[in-house]
Amino acid sequence: MPQPVISVSHLSKHFKVHKKQPGLWGSVQSLWNREYQEVKAVDDISFEINEGETIGFIGQNGAGKTTTLKVLSGLLYPSAGQVSVLGFDPWKRQPEFQKQFALVMGQKNQLWWDLPPIETFELNKAIYELSDKEYKRTLNTLVELLDVGDVLNIQVRKLSLGQRMKCELIAALLHTPKVLFLDEPTIGLDVLMQKALRDFIKDYNKKFNATIILTSHYMDDVKEICDRALVIDHGQKIFDGQLKKLIDSYARNKILSLIFTKPVTQKKLAEFGEVKAADQLSATLLVPRAQATKMASKLLSQLPVQDLNIEEPPIEAIIREVFETKADQTHD
Amino acid sequence: MTKYIQLLKLSWQNGFVYRTSLFMWRFRQFLSSVMSLTVWTVIYTSQSSVLGYDQTQMITYIFLSAFLQSCILATALNSLSGRVYSGEISAQLVKPISLFGYLAIEDVADKLRNIFFILIETSLLYLIFIPTIPLPTLLNGALFVLAVLMGAVMNFIINLLFGAIGFWSPDTWGPKFMFFIMVEFTAGKLFPLDILPPILEKLLYLTPFPYFSFVQTQIFLGRLDSVQIFWQLASLAGWIVGLYLVTRWIWQRGLRDYAAAGQ
Repeated sequence: MPQPVISVSHLSKHFKVHKKQPGLWGSVQSLWNREYQEVKAVDDISFEINEGETIGFIGQNGAGKTTTLKVLSGLLYPSAGQVSVLGFDPWKRQPEFQKQFALVMGQKNQLWWDLPPIETFELNKAIYELSDKEYKRTLNTLVELLDVGDVLNIQVRKLSLGQRMKCELIAALLHTPKVLFLDEPTIGLDVLMQKALRDFIKDYNKKFNATIILTSHYMDDVKEICDRALVIDHGQKIFDGQLKKLIDSYARNKILSLIFTKPVTQKKLAEFGEVKAADQLSATLLVPRAQATKMASKLLSQLPVQDLNIEEPPIEAIIREVFETKADQTHD
Repeated sequence: MTKYIQLLKLSWQNGFVYRTSLFMWRFRQFLSSVMSLTVWTVIYTSQSSVLGYDQTQMITYIFLSAFLQSCILATALNSLSGRVYSGEISAQLVKPISLFGYLAIEDVADKLRNIFFILIETSLLYLIFIPTIPLPTLLNGALFVLAVLMGAVMNFIINLLFGAIGFWSPDTWGPKFMFFIMVEFTAGKLFPLDILPPILEKLLYLTPFPYFSFVQTQIFLGRLDSVQIFWQLASLAGWIVGLYLVTRWIWQRGLRDYAAAGQ
């Protein structure tokens, strides 16, 4: 059985935040009377991650995804629980540990803003104590994979967001980390650039058997890169497993897309399932997953069907379903 | 060690990016010295000694103050609390490099840049005013250099201390402003502290402020005997150790409360 490279047991991280009353008088009052409230950013989460796994942290804004990543990378001190990454306690920030992981934040810049990216790469080479040979080999590979050879000597502030993100990734990967924490790595990028980065991350995982933990609001990132999903809501884990299992558990319906040879009425279509969209010669139906095959053959035999497709609902809809189910359970 | 040398190179380069700001700032420093030197030169046309300083000593004092301002008091860490509060230091915290070491190198690069310019400016001032500058003895010169280095270290630690406020609040301007005002009047930048009433001067020696430039000028000018120099350096060392221990403790507490903001 493979040993987990990351082990998190009953992790909690709480923050004390100042609660200000609205308005001018509230500001004046806060001079002598400050109210604080405790925010449970992460609340009793446990999980293990094995070497080479690719995990997607899924959750709404403020769910605790980024906080968990920050604890795993040693930036935040846990309020409770145990965390071990590569056998180290991240909070101790030992250099032997720091040489084996990298944290990339899509909204943060680790490159020196006023200097060309190559300068930051040279600095990271020194910080991570890489040999000339090692550095050149990795740099050449990364530059080629990400196709940024022509921007290495241009000031970072003059690069496009996509070029900058690619260079951020290079800076973070020069020491070929075994564990990679990616926080919204494709945020703000156009679809082509998103795809390029996803392909690159997948390649990196395969090539180095690196463990990758990713948070993203783009479900396509998770779908394409990750083989396991960890859904977090209000600081608590609500699902941990294969993406396929998530779909099976929470996608109640399948989507049937139909094209007809003759017009079919909506009333007729409603006999087979929930009509999501329809015009005279095409329609989209939602049918319970268990009955999808049966309903498809019924449609083929009873209606003038020219073409029929059975599809899973988009992953965004499934995730919405997960959160709605959780909210319903909470209210019950 | 290579990492710190590489960082020093980068910090040095980075300081030259905004050339206009850099040259304007240096020009301001230059003008400030010209003004002081002009005022004191005029004062000495009518009298040979003012407040116990003859013209040569006072002009040397002005030259030294300008030099010490750049070597000891100027710092790259004025915005450290903002960097802490905004989570900017996270990039350094996750890397195998000491954060204090990183910040120290940024500060050293800033000071080296200042020294580079102050040497040019001093040469120009020398050509304009042709002053007589009495050089210290070899021993006093060496002790002066040591006191300057120690003053710079103390200022670095105090800046770390102010930076730590960023762990809890973005509101650092108040205490920093008070500190600047105190430095302005009590470090000996505007006037030598020994012109103050003796009781006030003694009280000031209970604070770290005279060690930001006044004590160094006194060593250079030969106004302190060897015993006095020893005690002044010992006090300065005491301040450094004491402030470092407090700073380290506060940073350890601060890093536990650090929110690594930014997302």
